[in-house]
Amino acid sequence: MSANSTPALDLQGIELHYGYVKALDGINFKVNQGEAVALLGDNGAGKSTLLKLMSGVHRQTHGTIRVHGDEVNFHAPKDSANAGIEMVYQDLALVDALDSATNLLLGKEILRKGPLGWLGFVDRKKMIAEANSETELLGVKIANLTRPVEMLSGGQRQGVALARAAVRVNNKPNGILLLDEPTAALGYEQKVMVEGLIKRLAASGIAVVVVTHDLPLAFNATSRMVVLNRGRKVADVQTSETTYEKIVGYITGALPAQENMY
Amino acid sequence: MKKPDSLSVLVFIRSWGITILLVVLWALFASVAPVFGTFENASLILGAASISAIFAASIAMGVFSGALDLSVPGTAAVSGIVLGMLIGKGVDPVLAIAVALVIGAVIGYINGLIVQTGLNPLAVTIGMLSVTSGLAAILSDGIPLFDKMDSLGWLGTEIYFGLPSTFYVVIVVFVVGTIFLTKTRGGIRFLAAGGNAEALRRAGVNANTYRLLGFILSGALAALGGVVTCAYTAQASPTAATGVLFDGLTAVALSGISLAGGRGSLPKVLVGALVISTIGSGLLILNIQPYWTITITGLLLIGALAGEHYLGKAVARQAVGKSKVSAHKEAK
Repeated sequence: MSANSTPALDLQGIELHYGYVKALDGINFKVNQGEAVALLGDNGAGKSTLLKLMSGVHRQTHGTIRVHGDEVNFHAPKDSANAGIEMVYQDLALVDALDSATNLLLGKEILRKGPLGWLGFVDRKKMIAEANSETELLGVKIANLTRPVEMLSGGQRQGVALARAAVRVNNKPNGILLLDEPTAALGYEQKVMVEGLIKRLAASGIAVVVVTHDLPLAFNATSRMVVLNRGRKVADVQTSETTYEKIVGYITGALPAQENMY
Repeated sequence: MKKPDSLSVLVFIRSWGITILLVVLWALFASVAPVFGTFENASLILGAASISAIFAASIAMGVFSGALDLSVPGTAAVSGIVLGMLIGKGVDPVLAIAVALVIGAVIGYINGLIVQTGLNPLAVTIGMLSVTSGLAAILSDGIPLFDKMDSLGWLGTEIYFGLPSTFYVVIVVFVVGTIFLTKTRGGIRFLAAGGNAEALRRAGVNANTYRLLGFILSGALAALGGVVTCAYTAQASPTAATGVLFDGLTAVALSGISLAGGRGSLPKVLVGALVISTIGSGLLILNIQPYWTITITGLLLIGALAGEHYLGKAVARQAVGKSKVSAHKEAK
């Protein structure tokens, strides 16, 4: 089977129990390379929980997860990272005292050439240039790459966290990017930037899953929508074939679940 | 225009306040007691400040990486006693010093390993303070060791080019430490581990390695402090001098470093140590009871923390206000 016909991420028959509570109940979910999928639902519907299964924070009670066709068992977030899955959490995980460029390149710092490099000396100029070109490639504007991220506004911090994940996932063939409420803290212009970023990443072949409450974001940036309601999947539709009213109906339960959801 | 102005004032105070305090103190003491401003007195203050500065560096390295290491005085005592025993047996001083430093690093390593099992670092290092203080007394039967200790004069009491030998040790420690923290990959990750270990982990870097490194460096520098103390006093004392802990911590706090970790500047820690020694020396020259120094050090510690708390908040408020404005301009 070629890489294109195998889903990037394929979840089958997923159940997750918290004691007697079924947080997730028989969910099938897949995303292909080059596809951006929105994962929608009301608070407590299970969308964030499902995302945490994909990123290795939680583990399913039943069901299988496949990445590029291979079954995986995630015990910790680093397992999913090793499988090529990059996640942007709501808490952003930035190092406040370090500047944006260093935050972007943390873990893959550029060293100087020659003996100083052997001693671990970093090449600041090259790092800033690299951060600059990578963010430019992604169309993300970051006000000042040399300023500590603690001096940035909430929206700019979100931009740095997104750019970092995007840079990492962009460097991997068949990358998978998971976003948890990427526009929660953003103003209008930055939302537009995030929409553009999701579309560009998907167009370049990355598989993107976006958990969000932001329906305009879902409609503008994704090509398919999956709706959860009380731990079950109630809809799986192409964005082009649905409407705001229908999606809100699935989210609130006003519309009955689609058939063949299991 | 008003906001950026008050922001730059705040940032200026945050960056330079400690240095200004030092200059003001020097001017104040020199105007009251002319002898204070002499080169000889300055050299004396540097000598006294050097040992505090090394201990301050030890505590600072722990704080930068996210852990306050309270075992520093005990580590210094046990390393000093081992040094004294080896010197007394006629071991080459350089080898004996190396052994003492390795012992400090190993104690730090053990601290780090225990803390990484999830125990509270303050409690663990207080425990280690007791363990090491006890060991130092056991090893020496509780009495100071003097035998052949004057052979360390080249490190402790000699004057080179008008400056005390201990100050050269400080220069090496602070220059190498500053280069490590600001110019190298290891230093960046070291500070990141203290600031947000989770961010480092998600970047695929083993954050535990760098937190462990913080304890190892703290232990090795504590041992260095112990070695230099031995050389300066020409004896190895089995008593853990807990005062160095308070002075060191105050120097770190004066430098404006958040004790929560993740940031820090060694040169500012050095200035902090100089402030404390200056006050001690100034009060001595003014013939004021030395006990005041202890009280003032405590007040400085609390004042520095309160100042940093207030300044940090004020800067954050102003910076966010400012950057919102600039984000808007960019969009147009």
